[in-house]
Amino acid sequence: MNSGLPEMLHCLNLTSENCEMSVLERQRSCLKWQQEQLSHHHPPIPYFNGNDHLAYSGFHGDQALSDLVLNGGAMKPDPGVEHDDFRRFMNYGSGTTDFQISSALPRTVSCPPYVAAASVDSAAAGKESCKKRKADRSHKIAAEEKKMKGCAEEESKITEQNSNSKSTTTTISTSANKNSKGASANAKKASDAPKTDYIHVRARRGQATDSHSLAERVRREKISERMKYLQDLVPGCNKVTGKASMLDEIINYVQSLQRQVEFLSMKLAAINPRLDFDIENYILKEMFPACPPAMEPDHSHLQFNTSVEEVSGSGLEMVVDPMDATLRRTISAPITVQQSFLDSSSLNQTQQVTWEDELRNLYSMEYQQGRSTPFISQQITGFLEANHVKLEM
Amino acid sequence: MKARSSLKQEFLEKWRKGLQIGRNDSTILERKDAIKLSADVAIAATRNAATRWRRALLCDVVSKNPTNKHVVEQILGHKLKNTAATTRLTTACRRRILRRGQNYRRRKRNKRSRALRKLVPGGEEMDGVLLLQETLDYIVSLRAQVDVMRRLAAIT
Repeated sequence: MNSGLPEMLHCLNLTSENCEMSVLERQRSCLKWQQEQLSHHHPPIPYFNGNDHLAYSGFHGDQALSDLVLNGGAMKPDPGVEHDDFRRFMNYGSGTTDFQISSALPRTVSCPPYVAAASVDSAAAGKESCKKRKADRSHKIAAEEKKMKGCAEEESKITEQNSNSKSTTTTISTSANKNSKGASANAKKASDAPKTDYIHVRARRGQATDSHSLAERVRREKISERMKYLQDLVPGCNKVTGKASMLDEIINYVQSLQRQVEFLSMKLAAINPRLDFDIENYILKEMFPACPPAMEPDHSHLQFNTSVEEVSGSGLEMVVDPMDATLRRTISAPITVQQSFLDSSSLNQTQQVTWEDELRNLYSMEYQQGRSTPFISQQITGFLEANHVKLEM
Repeated sequence: MKARSSLKQEFLEKWRKGLQIGRNDSTILERKDAIKLSADVAIAATRNAATRWRRALLCDVVSKNPTNKHVVEQILGHKLKNTAATTRLTTACRRRILRRGQNYRRRKRNKRSRALRKLVPGGEEMDGVLLLQETLDYIVSLRAQVDVMRRLAAIT
């Protein structure tokens, strides 16, 4: 095991100032190192048998990896290899996760962050928390959405694939954060390893090393991580702490959302004598993102862009209809899609009455006099581009 | 923002598709049920319809009323295969499978856990960790659904 030391020291050197990883995680990442070192002495298949000796440590390594995943280890950018070997080892019929993880370890790259990444990668493949990482990454790529939401959505993609078995989806996180976290995990693990025996102890100091309790701890940590996400998602959860009251809040929230769906569907049924929501309403919905006070500005902007694509194929009359709905008047002049969107955006922000009056004035007094407000001129140009003879006041 | 608006748009489109199925609903309750059904199926069909609660929801919808099947198919865009995914295993059977994995943990499901399971579709058959995860995703989708419906109601 002495061969592992230089690498661990190497890990130590790569420490960054980010020391958020828990002691356990660092221990685990060091364990991975050790396992990797051991694995170098065994060919893959015998390694699997060799795992029997390392079973205990392998098991701990599992949790280490899961912890790393939980707290954002760096991801190795080559999931394909891991995936195949993983499957092969799974076919050996080992039902326990530790073997699978340990077996995946030999393929880790020799660089410490990569080790953390690779092991996290393979471990994460089966861990549900992996989905969180992937969600985070995709969320970062989207760069806009709430973290939990992206996380949840990504999770949903992968949930099916791995209930208990390892999923083959791997995440590649390129954020510097995660790299530094992985490095610090390795480093701190190295510092703790000398205190405890390399092979056997994977537990935190002062905690039971029983395999059952370790499994329990992993489970508890998973649960607490998900509770954290839920806390961010459910409004009003910040004040309450503790699983019980948070669950209460979550239950209340889900119930209220479901009731809202019922109520809104009833309302929609009452409004429409027949079920004809169609395209008009679809565009209306696109048109009116700026209207509700809860709307964020860029959201409406985005809606406009997508609406442009959607509507471009369809007739312009449909584009006009939303404005019509607000104006209570039909304008049949063909307007460029872009213009119409601009118009409706400005339209939403002003009072409809004044808009009607203005338009009336403008058409009566000819185009030059209509430059009182910029948005009016926009609309005028739009209208004038088209056959505005059809326009009637 | 992009992902959120795309989720809502996807939901809206699928909802529309479901509503386009011709139904002769005269009473308001029937209309409301049709609207709600389409909305639920649409929100369950977003994002690959892969998670547990989505599948459970679709299975419940189909099993409750076989005529709903073509709504589901219309929204999903493909025929429902009669695989295990579509036919829910009985709760007892699933529980047995679940218990095998939980043999070492003798957890008693407290009241809250049970309540949450009742709320989330398919929650009876999930273990603790998965339940929270599914709840997370379910909440996200519900929020999108409510948001879109509210906007639509405000417009019309």
